[in-house]
Amino acid sequence: MSRRGDGAGADRAGGAGYRGWRFRGLGLAAPAALAAGVIWWASFPVSGGGGGTQPVLVIAIVTGAMSVAELAVATIVIPQPEGFGAADRVVHQVIGLISMLPWAELMTVAALVLEALHKSRPWHTAVLAVALTGYLLAVHLAETDARVGALRAQLPLLCAGAGLAALSVGAAALPGLPAGPVATTVRIGAVVLATVVAGLAVPVWFSRDR
Amino acid sequence: MRWGLSAHARRLATLALAALITAVVTRRAEFAGLAAPAALMLTTWPSGRAAELTVRISMDAATVVEGTEAIVTVEIHGHDDFEAQLVVEPNDHVLAGAAIVSPPGGPVRVVRLPLEQARWGTRSLGMLLITFTDRYRLTEGKVLIQLPVIQCRPLPAQLASSIVMSRLPSRLGEHPARATGEGGEFAGVREFVPGDRQRRINWPATTRHGTLHLTTFAAERTQNIVVIADETTDVGVAGMTSLDLVLRGAAGAVTRYLAARDRVGLVIFAGHLSWLAPGQGQRHYQRLLDLMMATPGGWERAGGLTRLPRAALPPGALIIAFSPLLDPRLIEALRDVRERGFSVLVVDVLNAEPAHDGSRLSSLTSRVWRLEQQAIRFSLTEIGVPVVHWDGVTSLDDPLAPYTRRVMVAHR
Repeated sequence: MSRRGDGAGADRAGGAGYRGWRFRGLGLAAPAALAAGVIWWASFPVSGGGGGTQPVLVIAIVTGAMSVAELAVATIVIPQPEGFGAADRVVHQVIGLISMLPWAELMTVAALVLEALHKSRPWHTAVLAVALTGYLLAVHLAETDARVGALRAQLPLLCAGAGLAALSVGAAALPGLPAGPVATTVRIGAVVLATVVAGLAVPVWFSRDR
Repeated sequence: MRWGLSAHARRLATLALAALITAVVTRRAEFAGLAAPAALMLTTWPSGRAAELTVRISMDAATVVEGTEAIVTVEIHGHDDFEAQLVVEPNDHVLAGAAIVSPPGGPVRVVRLPLEQARWGTRSLGMLLITFTDRYRLTEGKVLIQLPVIQCRPLPAQLASSIVMSRLPSRLGEHPARATGEGGEFAGVREFVPGDRQRRINWPATTRHGTLHLTTFAAERTQNIVVIADETTDVGVAGMTSLDLVLRGAAGAVTRYLAARDRVGLVIFAGHLSWLAPGQGQRHYQRLLDLMMATPGGWERAGGLTRLPRAALPPGALIIAFSPLLDPRLIEALRDVRERGFSVLVVDVLNAEPAHDGSRLSSLTSRVWRLEQQAIRFSLTEIGVPVVHWDGVTSLDDPLAPYTRRVMVAHR
């Protein structure tokens, strides 16, 4: 029982609760699975990494989990914390903590560091590139509650990016190719691939402001 | 409006930069390839922005009643190809139909947002965050707009019957009075005297008695009602506090008696006293409800409140007080009003007790408190002030039934 003594005339209402929960199960499953996959792939094998692999792995796991949690709490409408119970205040503070840092970016950097701590393995990095890009796109789709079709306009760019990634992986995998017909064929293939990449990317770039 | 990189663009830029830096530091070309998809997607960054954006917000009503929806219409002009997403952040006691709305495309985008006020009060409906994004969702502009302030009035309690006094003032109204007059209700038969209207001659009685007899009718009078709303205390669970019940009950009584063409006044008993003398009509009804919403509640250590002003209490008025009877000054004022000869009826809206921890001392304290409350109510009843309890859930007709079924005798 309380005696009201504030004398507030305009807005005398008090008390509220959390509203606006909208669970996005399938929307969260994709980024969660891709985050787990990226971390596992970048750290595999853990024993094969250089010094500092394990701390970076822990950081990657924590940031990955927090990035998914951030997506989960994004739809909660947080009212003013006045007149709340203790449980509501704790929830309020946890949500604030989760939303404080850019967890997806931190996980991306941690995954790259994990991959860099291992010895050069170009095909492995190429797979990580696909998974990491997929993870970022999945986070974006979950965040905006959009369908996969929303990325259709950027599909040529993604294909072009995959082509460039293939070129770089090829360059890394075949560093010391001796001069001869094989090397010439590879170079011609690289030029053709680069041309295809440019052909895919340039029209999208010109049409970006339409 | 604030334009900047979207979260998606920031993440892509982080991936591209981190991969390129790793490629340079580790001298591994495959990391440069890792940056390629993200870097290429960032090349679609739009060079232009929406030149002039106009957002117009309008409402279908400036006042609503508790539990009813207000429609907020948002019109967006000049957004070019940018997509818009509206996020409503409702204030306390405001319920948004849909928290996130993406309006359909078109030169002018119109969104109708249904917002429901769950509790009376004058407050802004909340904030509206509009986010404009390009079609690749790389750049975004955000604008935060405060939604309009709306006055939400208490939901009037249901009251279909009314208390009628035995003595009514000499004003034309709709209640049959004891005095004879020009009303429509039969009052009796008496002998004809010169000057009476011939059309009222009662022919059966004339034939029976052999002299001219006349039918008389009851006069129709109005009555003065003064509603006292005690806003000094607010106890109980949210949504059904004593203040909620006071305002809903007062609004119900005001609505009912004004609909019965009575003259209704209002006294707000709060930190300071506010009142409106009895009046009639729709405009007076609006003034009464505005006074109810505008008066600051709360408790102040102010003197002179135990005697209600004479101007607020016309002679012979029926006084209906809605109160939890927790403020001794109001109880004293009610005693004073009764001693001045007014007919007073108290609707007790107290539906909470002090919390106690179950200990012996606490139980004893609660018991003393309950006895004190019973004593207050008994003392009022003893001086001729009936006290009825209303729980806020049922109709007001139930507690008032003993007084609405017959004429309430006014006595000093």
